[in-house]
Amino acid sequence: MTRLLSWFLSTLALGGFALLLGVFVWQSAPIWQTEGTRYVTGSAWFYRQHQFGALSLVYGSIAVTAVSLLLAGPLGLGAAIFLSEYLPQRARLWLKIPIELLAGIPSVVFGLLGIALLRDWVYRVFTHFDPLSGDTLLTAGILLAVMILPTVVTLCDDALRSVPGRQRSAARSLGLTGAEVVWSVVLPQALRGIGAAGLLAVGRALGETVAVFLVIGRQDNNLPHPWFSLAPLLEAGQSLTTKLGGAETNIAFGDHLHWAAIMGLGLLLLVLTAGATALGTLGRTPHA
Amino acid sequence: MRIRATMRLFLPLFFSLLSLTSISASPLKINGSTTVNLPVAEAAEILRAEQKLDIQVDTQGGSAGGISMLGDGLVQMGMSSKPVSPEDRLKYPQCDFHPVHIGEDAVALIVSRDVWENGIRALSKSQIKDIYEGRVKNWKDLGGTKPQRIAFFNKEPGRGTWEVFVHWLYGSPKAAPQVSFPEVGGNEETRSKVASTPGALSQLSASWADGKSVFALALLGEDGTPISPETQNIASHRYPLSRPLFVLTNGEPSGEAKTMIDFLLSDRGQALVQKHGYLPLKALHP
Repeated sequence: MTRLLSWFLSTLALGGFALLLGVFVWQSAPIWQTEGTRYVTGSAWFYRQHQFGALSLVYGSIAVTAVSLLLAGPLGLGAAIFLSEYLPQRARLWLKIPIELLAGIPSVVFGLLGIALLRDWVYRVFTHFDPLSGDTLLTAGILLAVMILPTVVTLCDDALRSVPGRQRSAARSLGLTGAEVVWSVVLPQALRGIGAAGLLAVGRALGETVAVFLVIGRQDNNLPHPWFSLAPLLEAGQSLTTKLGGAETNIAFGDHLHWAAIMGLGLLLLVLTAGATALGTLGRTPHA
Repeated sequence: MRIRATMRLFLPLFFSLLSLTSISASPLKINGSTTVNLPVAEAAEILRAEQKLDIQVDTQGGSAGGISMLGDGLVQMGMSSKPVSPEDRLKYPQCDFHPVHIGEDAVALIVSRDVWENGIRALSKSQIKDIYEGRVKNWKDLGGTKPQRIAFFNKEPGRGTWEVFVHWLYGSPKAAPQVSFPEVGGNEETRSKVASTPGALSQLSASWADGKSVFALALLGEDGTPISPETQNIASHRYPLSRPLFVLTNGEPSGEAKTMIDFLLSDRGQALVQKHGYLPLKALHP
């Protein structure tokens, strides 16, 4: 009975996801028919002229996510190593609780903090590069870094704790120092779990909307020239989620092609976040 | 077993959907401009609560949608931020359009304090075009005493303020060139962003330009005289960036439509007009 029910519920969940994906594919079909792959590779998004190139939006999403992971990754891993390898068990728990509480704070609260503190800070610190305002892709990335930090810390800590303690004792008895144990015994074995933590954090960062919306500046068609240029990071930009959360979604409803283009963005976002999350989850279960 | 579980899940959902579609007969249907919608929708909410009126307010197709749906008899009241044209009347001969003026919407070009102190007090139409099309990027080129980058915030798509702006600049939203600027949404957001960003410029409903955190520029007329968005200039239409707000009925308003119009013209209704950033009638005809 339990097995039957769990099979049924799993099928239901999987079916729900397939249905969701199907709806997005079906609703965005017109844009794929008219634009084809140019929809993803095109760099101009002007909906009044019916130009729908989503590249700058994909770039915006990837740019803010990359910035956040670059900042939160090393910091989070460092914090996790400290928590799991250097703190006594009791202190570790006491520190882990507030960190996990941080993960539960509504994102709009982070957004407000971003407006209150981060915008001006970015503007002042990078004033040498002459940004037009404090609303930039970089601001959004830094804000996201704060938001995904708890995820990174908790999951990295779990990954490190899953390395058996006996191996640590064995390594110590061979004469390795504490740092050497972490570096050459624990980290290599936890690598897979750490990678998974990163991917799950990426999934969260990609999907975050409200907080990013408040500080990203919402400027369409911001792309780097040449492609590796960092200059657009200090300009206002737009990500997949901020486009979807913005005014255009309401306007698009009723316009066949425009709506399809918006639903196409939803599909891209769904595929990106689901991909990152699925990979991350697989990485967390070693025998999957 | 599976089927029964699904039924249990979906049947209540199904019935609740059914009950949604069977709303009681003939509500007062209103459709049209998103700009006029703001005070009207709030008035509708008050009338729903206080007088148990059944009112549906929608904004399909903006002003043009309001006029055409009233002309076709699909709604009992239209909302429009432009006068009904003779062409509209020709197109719908069966409809006797009866416009009621409920207020005026003026759009100011506002700048941050440092721009104001840099000596920028007025802009001409061609200067504004230069900024909007990205040919001019520094306040010094527009008469500022010291060089300062222009941080232009564009109103996001669908905002009435943006439409007034491009109507004046290019004739219609469709004729406006393709530009990408950082976007701002509502009046509060626009004002605080402009106030907190050096070199900032944006469009804002005139009643929100407080002269303390943000400053309204005058527009240079054809002869070079500056015209500021002051109440008397808006009322006399010397200030070009403004438009009247109407609700429309077919013939003299009656019944629930009359109740709505009477409410909009009352002190409470006019306070709603003002609340959403428009000039009430009293300010137009003092």
